[in-house]
Amino acid sequence: MFPILEIGPLAIQSVGFFLLMSITVGFLLSSKFSEKLGTYNESIENGLLIIFGVFLISARLGYILQNPATFIENPGQIISLSTTTLNISFGILVSAITTVTLAQRNHLPLLPTLDTFTPLLILLFIGLHLANLANGDAFGLPTQLPWGVELWGAKRHPVQIYALVLLACYFLWMIYITKGLKQTGFMQSGMLFTISTGVIAMITIFTRAFVSERILLGMVDILQLIGLIVIIVCYYFIYHKLFHLNKHIEVILSLGSNDNPQSNLIKGSERLQEIYKVTQASSVYRTQAVNTHSESQEYFNQTIEIITDLPFSTLRNQLKAIEQEFGREPGNKDVVPLDIDIITYSDQVFSYQGNQIPDPDLAKYRYIAQPLAEMAPNFRHPATGISIKKLIAQTKDNSQITKIEEVDNEFTG
Amino acid sequence: MTKKTYTLIALMSLILSLTWIILTPILFPGVDAQQEISAPHEGFLAPQFSLESTENIVHALDDYNGQPVLIFFWASWCSICKRIMPDLQQVYETYQPEGFEILAVNATNQDSFTDAVNYFTSQDYTYKMLLDTQGEVTSQYQLHAFPTSVLLGPDGVIIDVVIGTGMNGAYLSTQLDQLFSNGD
Repeated sequence: MFPILEIGPLAIQSVGFFLLMSITVGFLLSSKFSEKLGTYNESIENGLLIIFGVFLISARLGYILQNPATFIENPGQIISLSTTTLNISFGILVSAITTVTLAQRNHLPLLPTLDTFTPLLILLFIGLHLANLANGDAFGLPTQLPWGVELWGAKRHPVQIYALVLLACYFLWMIYITKGLKQTGFMQSGMLFTISTGVIAMITIFTRAFVSERILLGMVDILQLIGLIVIIVCYYFIYHKLFHLNKHIEVILSLGSNDNPQSNLIKGSERLQEIYKVTQASSVYRTQAVNTHSESQEYFNQTIEIITDLPFSTLRNQLKAIEQEFGREPGNKDVVPLDIDIITYSDQVFSYQGNQIPDPDLAKYRYIAQPLAEMAPNFRHPATGISIKKLIAQTKDNSQITKIEEVDNEFTG
Repeated sequence: MTKKTYTLIALMSLILSLTWIILTPILFPGVDAQQEISAPHEGFLAPQFSLESTENIVHALDDYNGQPVLIFFWASWCSICKRIMPDLQQVYETYQPEGFEILAVNATNQDSFTDAVNYFTSQDYTYKMLLDTQGEVTSQYQLHAFPTSVLLGPDGVIIDVVIGTGMNGAYLSTQLDQLFSNGD
């Protein structure tokens, strides 16, 4: 037990230190992760500060409302820095409502945002167990096992160590599956978060058995029951994601060509119409090549929305085959008869085995964003919730892009 | 992974989890006798001690059975302690008639006896100052920092242990309000 950490001349309360450290490290990791996943949104960073402030103020306010008489006698203590005079549950409730309100106002997509904060979630649980370990809270049952620790008048199960070891193993696995927080690890939004939540619930169910003080409902520990419900929800979510296949997946494609572009684009979109249900298409735009190696500096680009029921990888392979039908040579970036890129695939956000959806170029280049803005003016980036207008305003790409009025594209779906 | 494999794995692990939850109270029955073990932690019986006051009168924790007690560990060099102690005096004046007691245990072995007594008497505190000259009680209570406040219910069981500024007037008053209203 070490409730106070002495760092040089400073004596710091371990609970605060571990919680603050785990939140800080978790937030930094999530922040890095969000850049790799394409979910980085500055409104999250600003929002977190607001939420932290709202938490502190409402937790104190909750305590004051609960005990008004005390503060009438000691009004100075309304603004004291003490952490004991906080109503934590009230603080969590108010800041949760604030979080939902802020997320809705900024159109933050739920599942990709949750995936992004998975490192923070795991670190938060590690911090909680470290804090309990430091304070000797949520201690274990007496045991005769050789690894029992002397605490509070008995040799006890080192239950916080059990939890920390399991959480650390899971954290390492998550680092492995995400290739060092560079990928989502799965091709479905929300999968990483759901698996992590399920594993934390399993660890809780397992370790709660060794905890001395339980909150009981009949004979059963309430936290174990909550854990079981969480696992059932997680299994259902994963089942739904894996096997309840959507037959109506909206996919936005970007078509490009720098080799006989006018004809190739028209033929390309006709070919797509033969295979898929095309619901929307933009005009064709004359754009400058962003790849300076290209012999021909001029491209024609267009965005098209199709409806399909194909899994991502099958669709990608089909589109590659169409590109080759038009004479596209893999690896040849100079002569491009037809290029078809998947820009968005439903509202999925993933980065896995070299495939990143939505295509990161969407937020970078006008040749995708501009036609898309014309085709779907209400479009929002599935990973960040940022509107297409704002994406165009934020892009650093200043290349010339002109709409070609004479190209006819009557796709009416 | 096929639908069948997934369902099998999910069901197996759910059954395992459920079995573990059902077996928990059988394999690892909770210890209810916690309140009979003495340890310096919330939920345990407060470790017993007896110490002399500045007037050489011996006060034992036992003497205050049936009363809520705050054991406040302090030293005269600890500025945070001295910031809180006037607050405690205020709360003491309000709740002492109802039976509340404060034992301000001075860690005399880590303090100057004269400085401690001079400070305490100069402030006209009416609660009791006890002298832990050998440091036995501070080690019994596994003290890590000053001030440390240990609040006991009338049954001698520890309700709260607070290190630092947390045991201020507002917090102590609300804790005592709850204690006295529960007792009514």
